[in-house]
Amino acid sequence: MVDEKSSDNLIEIRGLYLKRGRRVVFDGLDMSIPRGKITALMGPSGTGKTTLLKVIGGQVAPDAGEVIVNGLDVCRASRAELFELRKNIGMLFQSSALFTDMSVAENVAFPLREHTDLPDDSIRDLVLMKLNAVGLRGARDLMPNELSGGMARRVALARAIALDPLLLMYDEPFTGQDPIAMGVVQSLIKRLNHAFAATSLVVSHDIHETITIAEQIYIIADGKVIGHGPPDHLRSHDSSLIRQFVHGTPDGPVPFHYPADELNFDLLGEVSG
Amino acid sequence: MQMRTIEISVGAFVLAGALALVFLAVKVSGVDLTASRDTYTVQARFNDVAGLRERAKVSLAGVTIGRVARIEADMNYGEAIAVLELNGQPGNLPLDTGARIVTEGLLGARYVSLSLGIEEDYLTEGDMITDTQGALVLESLIGDFVTKMGAN
Amino acid sequence: MIEYLRYLGAEALDFLGNLGRASLMWGRALSGLPRWNDIGLLMRQIYNIGVLSLVIIILSAFSIGAVIALQFHTQLAKFGAEDAVGVGLAMVLLRELGPVVTALLFAGRAGSAITAEIGLMKSTEQLSSMEMMGVDPLRRIVAPRLWAGMLCLPLLTAIFNVVAIYGGVVVAVEWLGADPSSYWNGMQDVVELWEDLGKGMVKSVFFAVLVTWIAVYQGYDTVPTAEGIGMSTTRTVVLSSVMVLATDFLLTLSMYGDFG
Repeated sequence: MVDEKSSDNLIEIRGLYLKRGRRVVFDGLDMSIPRGKITALMGPSGTGKTTLLKVIGGQVAPDAGEVIVNGLDVCRASRAELFELRKNIGMLFQSSALFTDMSVAENVAFPLREHTDLPDDSIRDLVLMKLNAVGLRGARDLMPNELSGGMARRVALARAIALDPLLLMYDEPFTGQDPIAMGVVQSLIKRLNHAFAATSLVVSHDIHETITIAEQIYIIADGKVIGHGPPDHLRSHDSSLIRQFVHGTPDGPVPFHYPADELNFDLLGEVSG
Repeated sequence: MQMRTIEISVGAFVLAGALALVFLAVKVSGVDLTASRDTYTVQARFNDVAGLRERAKVSLAGVTIGRVARIEADMNYGEAIAVLELNGQPGNLPLDTGARIVTEGLLGARYVSLSLGIEEDYLTEGDMITDTQGALVLESLIGDFVTKMGAN
Repeated sequence: MIEYLRYLGAEALDFLGNLGRASLMWGRALSGLPRWNDIGLLMRQIYNIGVLSLVIIILSAFSIGAVIALQFHTQLAKFGAEDAVGVGLAMVLLRELGPVVTALLFAGRAGSAITAEIGLMKSTEQLSSMEMMGVDPLRRIVAPRLWAGMLCLPLLTAIFNVVAIYGGVVVAVEWLGADPSSYWNGMQDVVELWEDLGKGMVKSVFFAVLVTWIAVYQGYDTVPTAEGIGMSTTRTVVLSSVMVLATDFLLTLSMYGDFG
């Protein structure tokens, strides 16, 4: 059931609650992702940002709450509805997740082969165009194990845009890259978002890179949204936690020291024990 | 690896497996593929068929001319009735043909050995062979031997 | 004491949970026959699982057939019954060794390969990304392997039996001088189509389902780290072997129960 009324926001998340074992991952999370813009999800490591992407994609079911993507509540959707939705989502995984037994071209062709009935010639042309968009048309016959990390990521990106998706999700796209590669990814994210009039969701903890491209930022900690807004808005936010994060200060509301006894007691204890 | 090569090797593999199964059925289990041969059945009554299995061969002078189709117990007389399926048409075996249960080699399988009689009329479908000698059971042989030795 | 019971209870629940997940996986993967388009995937898996296992199966079969024929011959010669080598070998192979040894070799070679492959795909998020693209990994990755495994093992067992019997022929006839016609005739007289060959193949089908299922599930359920893959692969081989032997025991009892 597609509800076109809330067409400003592609994704609406209300009251999301998820528990993994004893750990509460999301505790009443609310979020609105606007259409056509690049939104960043940021926060300290381990706050479940990747899990949130999986919830949006319908891979992980929350314990409570609503997640409405393009008018469809993914938590209550049928397999057929999810199938349709996923044709319109492109996701870039942290490890690029290319299929190791297929060549670059075959990887990019995969969604086209599975979801369309296009003849081989058309598929070949589309693959070449997508690879061209990421600058890797010449690498089309290489195997994934012959690619560098950055190149693999770009191929994965080409695959993610194969079906001209509405929503592009990026899981830690800047992690572990050299400055040039990072610059490439940044420019690609911006260009693709513009070219496809898509909505982009970037999960990252690289402040500097993300702030450059994001039009809207959500900061998540302790399973909740602790701040959101345009980048400038956050740089001078009231919350000290947000300020610590944005400025990258080592100690503050997120402490430097792991909880322990006072240093004197520890040292003395060793000696007299 | 080219798809073509894969298809060919998979086909060869499946073929090899199927052939292996056929081989096992025919050469090893002795399944008779010319099953549409004429056969007729006679019966033979034995006092003891110890060790004789169904599908054991029935032979005349060492040549296999049939198989043991079924072995049944006769509750009335405490004897065993072996149903023999013989190849060809009736008209070869005289009414007083004898049947003995013998062992192949020393420890081999038991089979039924026929010896021709002298009557003019022949066995037909459903007839009973009465001149029989049952399986020699090793223990009773030894028992007899010991008894005889003891008597001397 | 209480702690130990609690531990056992937790393990039991764990086991049931695993069994449940494994059954669901099996059910969902095999629901609906393979699509015509997926034939290519199936072919590739039959190649990986079956064709590539041929070498080890054939080599082992020949050695085992030869060795057993040798041992049988030695023992039977004491009774002057060397001619029964063929019969003995065929019975032992068709009923027990063929299905069991082939299944064990299969678990070690093909089973571990399946687990490692699927485990690796899980660790590198290939399964996840496939799902995100709207393609069901159960249909595309798991199902072809399940079908291929169930098809290949019985075929491999038949090939094993044939090669082993020939190994026996080489030893018994060429080397030890047994009479070839009594080797084969003895076999044909005693070995029965259903009792020996048929029931042996039924065992093989059981083993095929078991080993393939274990291999695929262990891969699918891997802890997505390098260590996790190693553990899953080991678990496949160990669990498959134990289950094959245990199932063989039960099947033998029920099939040939009358040891009168």
